[in-house]
Formats: sequence, C-alpha cells, structure tokens
Amino acid sequence: MPEPWRLLHTFDGEPGWNMALDEALLASSDPRPTLRFYTWRPHAISLGYFQRWRELGPLPEGLVLVRRFSGGGAIEHSDELTFSIAAADTHTLFRGEVLRSYERVHALLARAFEAFGVRAAPRAAATLRSDHPTSAMCFHRSTAFDLAWDGAKGVGSAQRRSKGRVLHHGSIKLAAGALEADVAGLRAHAPALEAAALARAIADEFARSLGCRFEREEPTAAEQTLAATRAASYRSPEFVRRR
Amino acid sequence: MRPNDRKYTKTHEWVKLSGEEVLVGITDFAVQELCSGNEGDLVYCDLPEPGRALEAGETFGEIESVKAVADLNAPVAGTVSEINVNVEEHLEVLSRDPWNAGWLIKLQPRTKALDAPELLDAAAYEAFITASKH
Repeated sequence: MPEPWRLLHTFDGEPGWNMALDEALLASSDPRPTLRFYTWRPHAISLGYFQRWRELGPLPEGLVLVRRFSGGGAIEHSDELTFSIAAADTHTLFRGEVLRSYERVHALLARAFEAFGVRAAPRAAATLRSDHPTSAMCFHRSTAFDLAWDGAKGVGSAQRRSKGRVLHHGSIKLAAGALEADVAGLRAHAPALEAAALARAIADEFARSLGCRFEREEPTAAEQTLAATRAASYRSPEFVRRR
Repeated sequence: MRPNDRKYTKTHEWVKLSGEEVLVGITDFAVQELCSGNEGDLVYCDLPEPGRALEAGETFGEIESVKAVADLNAPVAGTVSEINVNVEEHLEVLSRDPWNAGWLIKLQPRTKALDAPELLDAAAYEAFITASKH
C-alpha cells in the first residue's frame, strides 16, 4: 500500500508568505508527509535563522529580504525551484542523524536530475569552484554532503526540527543568481527547463523510490490562516535584523 | 547507560535536581543527531534571559548545527535563574560533556518532584531512542 503524501504547488508566492507557510507545515497536524514546491515573486534573499544580516552587502534592486527559520547561509531566490518537506522526525526520510536525512533527500534529487542529463553527487572531498569562503551566500559554502555537479554546488539545504517534526528546506538552482557567481545550474544541461517541469520530475522520483502516492492539494484552511497571520513577520525589520 | 540521576524527555532534554533548583541540558543522542560526531558542526545556541517563566514543554531556546536548527524544550515548568554562558561561547562542551559542564539553563522549578509521567528514567529513555531507530 503506497504511503499517502500531500503535494502542494504554491508558485510565485510572496516571500514572507512563503516562509510563513513552511512554518505552518512544520506545525501541521496532518499525519501525512508533505512535499511543497514553490517559487518567489518578487524575487528574494532569505537569510539563515542565525545569520548576521550585516554579512550581506548591498542587495540588487528589486530583491526582498526575509529571514528563514531554518539555518545556514543566505540564498537568492530567483532562477530556482524551492521545495520543503514536512514530516515527523520518525519518518524513514528523517529518522536518525540529520546528516543521514540529507543523504537520503539528496540521493532522491540526484536521481531526478538524471532525466535532464545532470550527474549530481555529494561533494565529498572535492574542492568546488563555487566555494567563496568570505561570502554570506549558502551556495558559496559547501560541506561534504552538499549536492554538486559541474564542479559547483547546485542545491542548498537546511532543516528546522521542532516538537518531533522536521521541515527540510531545499533550493535547486536552474541558473546562478546575481549574488551567486560560479554556482551550478540545471539549465546548463537542460536550457529550456522550467521550475514546474523540475517539480514534476522530483515528485515522480519520490513516488518511485519511496513508494508514496501524492495527493495534490491546497494548504488547509488552518495552514492558510497561520501563513496569512505570520507572513509579514518574516520580512519585518525586527525579525530580518534580529542578528 | 546514561546517568540515572536525572530524567529525560522524548525531545532529548534532561533535567536534574540541584539543591532547590534543577539543571536542564540536552542528551548525547541529541548532540549526535545534530552533528554526527563533528563537534565543530554545532554553530549557535540561543538561551533565554534569566527571569523568564517557562511551562513544561515550552521552547526556551534554539541550537543550530551546520545543517539544522532545533528547538530546546523545558522538561518542567519553572523560572530561569541562570544560563550557562560558557556553552553559548564553547559549543564543543555539548559534545564532550553533555551531562555536567554542558548544562544549559538552571530553573527554579514550580514543583520540585521530577515525577511527571512524560519524564523518562534512563532505562525508559534508552528504550525510547532504541525504538525510534527502527
């Protein structure tokens, strides 16, 4: 019997709302794991939860600044697909050490990317051309388990763990953003690739590898309410500049 | 076997009587889950201001490893009387000695007895984490 999962597509979401909906998914009482795909309008920079905002230099015009409630470095949300996975920390995807959960998620993504001619693998001991040690950007820092191709990091990941649940954040680059020089992008191999097609390929791989069955839905009324209530706080100066 | 002089939570905190107060920390299991044996992977810890009143189960702080931010939850209700500033500045203490030097906060507990049913003794905590791996 396939495991039922919820599948949410919320493309072109307002940046604060995007973060607030993930908070709602982490707190959700729905027993099913949730896979959410989203993009950002306007484009945005998200700071990591503990990151100092002054690490960032001047922002390109038009980019909104928000702070995530997951950790890590800053991410430019422009030419990319963002996803989140919310589930109990006892789920097979998240059970045990955080590192192991990254390996499981990244293995699924790497298999999904094969459809676009991309051979992605954990960085391991390699040095990446995207490593810029003084940069505040997530994609300019790498660890051994980060997913890379073409000698550069192409997926940024972070997690929030709270009250027995996990929210896994992922950013997959279609192409490098203005603040993310030397980062890998899937369009280098699949020039016409759009976020929606990538989302379909990833969901298909999850279904195939995890044996799950997706139920395409909208966020619940309770999740929508929480997201609407909390959206403004994620881009408020008090939260963005909390550190 | 983990120390049996304290109680444990299913969210991997411990609480131990210390005179009229209680000490609260996180377990070796929690540290291992966050940093897989690399003590340098713990990067930030936010602890509350002394004087803050906490309910049992309430989030009192956060800890960040290289790849996850996790909540810190109060095992019992009480008022924060002291925080371990040394841990905020030297997170490696949590890997090296989570049971003693790695305490996080000291609470003036609302009730001194650590007998709430949701608190586990060392054997029950051991059984809980063994079960959670399977």
